[in-house]
Amino acid sequence: MPKEKIVAGGRAWPSTNVLLTVGIVVFAIIVLGGVLLLGGDDKPRGSSTVPSSVLVNEDSHRITEGGTEVTVVEFLDYQCPACAAYYRNITADVERDYGDRITFVVRNFPLDNHSLALPAAQAAEAAGMQGKFAEMYHALYDNYEQWAVTEDGDQLSDDEDRARAAFDAFAKEIGLDVDQLHTDMASDAVAKRIEADKVDGEKAGVTGTPTLFVNGERFTPSGETFAEVKQQFRDRLDAELAR
Amino acid sequence: MSDSRPTPVTGWDAAASGSQMADDGPLGRIVRWLYLAGGGIGLLASFVLMVEKIALLADPSYVPTCSLNPVLSCGSVMATPQAAAFGVANPLLGITGFAMLVTAGIALIARFRPPQWFWLALQAGTTFGVLFVHWLIWQSLYSIGALCPYCMVVWAVTIPLFWYTTLHNLERGHLTGRPTGAVLVRFHSFVLALWFMAIIALIAVRFWDYWVTLV
Repeated sequence: MPKEKIVAGGRAWPSTNVLLTVGIVVFAIIVLGGVLLLGGDDKPRGSSTVPSSVLVNEDSHRITEGGTEVTVVEFLDYQCPACAAYYRNITADVERDYGDRITFVVRNFPLDNHSLALPAAQAAEAAGMQGKFAEMYHALYDNYEQWAVTEDGDQLSDDEDRARAAFDAFAKEIGLDVDQLHTDMASDAVAKRIEADKVDGEKAGVTGTPTLFVNGERFTPSGETFAEVKQQFRDRLDAELAR
Repeated sequence: MSDSRPTPVTGWDAAASGSQMADDGPLGRIVRWLYLAGGGIGLLASFVLMVEKIALLADPSYVPTCSLNPVLSCGSVMATPQAAAFGVANPLLGITGFAMLVTAGIALIARFRPPQWFWLALQAGTTFGVLFVHWLIWQSLYSIGALCPYCMVVWAVTIPLFWYTTLHNLERGHLTGRPTGAVLVRFHSFVLALWFMAIIALIAVRFWDYWVTLV
């Protein structure tokens, strides 16, 4: 049986196949590397500061208002595990220890891949309309396991009914009018506030959460553990306060 | 088995020189060594994953050696239902399948000339493997939202194992009764590179926010 002659071995080298293969790999490396290295240029990094007009609005929610010399702004996503870990390990303590000396502003940056982040942001904003934003912010993070992750705690939840039921429970505990909360959560005003926060976040170069700014300067920790990052953050605050 | 091969000349160069080529075709050498190397790497990765899984079961607070950061995190991947898609831990399937491929590779290197059904079985096995792996890639990227390095090693070896098995079977006529796929054979590694690039691009885009923080 005569076999079809296939030109794959024993001919001039390099073959078209090899050239194409090397070509596509080199092309991919250049594109990926180029975008990664150069892509950062269009957003502020390092020592460049973001104007406070972008970071803080008149009506932005302030968790603490202890002085205007140092303002910390956090762009957060209530369902993002890293944000919850930041809260548990860093910002909750900072709020307690520095609350009387700094202004701590939190702004919404719900990410598309966290399906419960938006309803949570709506709950916080709606609570804000009843004057209890900070209480809801705390409830959402203090009880993160009750709504943001699956019941076995293994992965992020996408059970919106369960999350909304949890939000209602938090609202009752805080002393909110739950029916009003539902109305506000679905309102245009709340949707616009969240969207405005996202737009400002994008202007400030935020791409992921949590992203923190200390007096307009992005906080980029080098620490490997939360303990190290926390120390860096506190050092940073101390330095700003000492100015 | 040794009937029509009096001279033990092996390999690519020998194949190119003439009648030997008819024996296992242009991809025969790639396939047998790929089974040994790729199968071996896959076996090692599956084995390590299984060991990690057992360690995690024994001590729920154990942090697997491949949980490096929020994105590269086997711990979070191993804890998902997808990690036991068929009711048993996925690495068990990997250990079984890759061990078979290693054995097949060694047999082929030892000049075993398998019947058609043997190749069809390899085709079935690697096809199942590649489908499963793509489902896992999808789950890892869009459902779990984390990558597990050892799992990615398995992805990386399963795709060429399937690809070269298929090409070889096409070219040898094991699948259709007559040789086909000449163009694919000719551009074998280019197609494979495109395949890898597509997956790398999906990973890059999916976790872009994280990668930029590392630069």
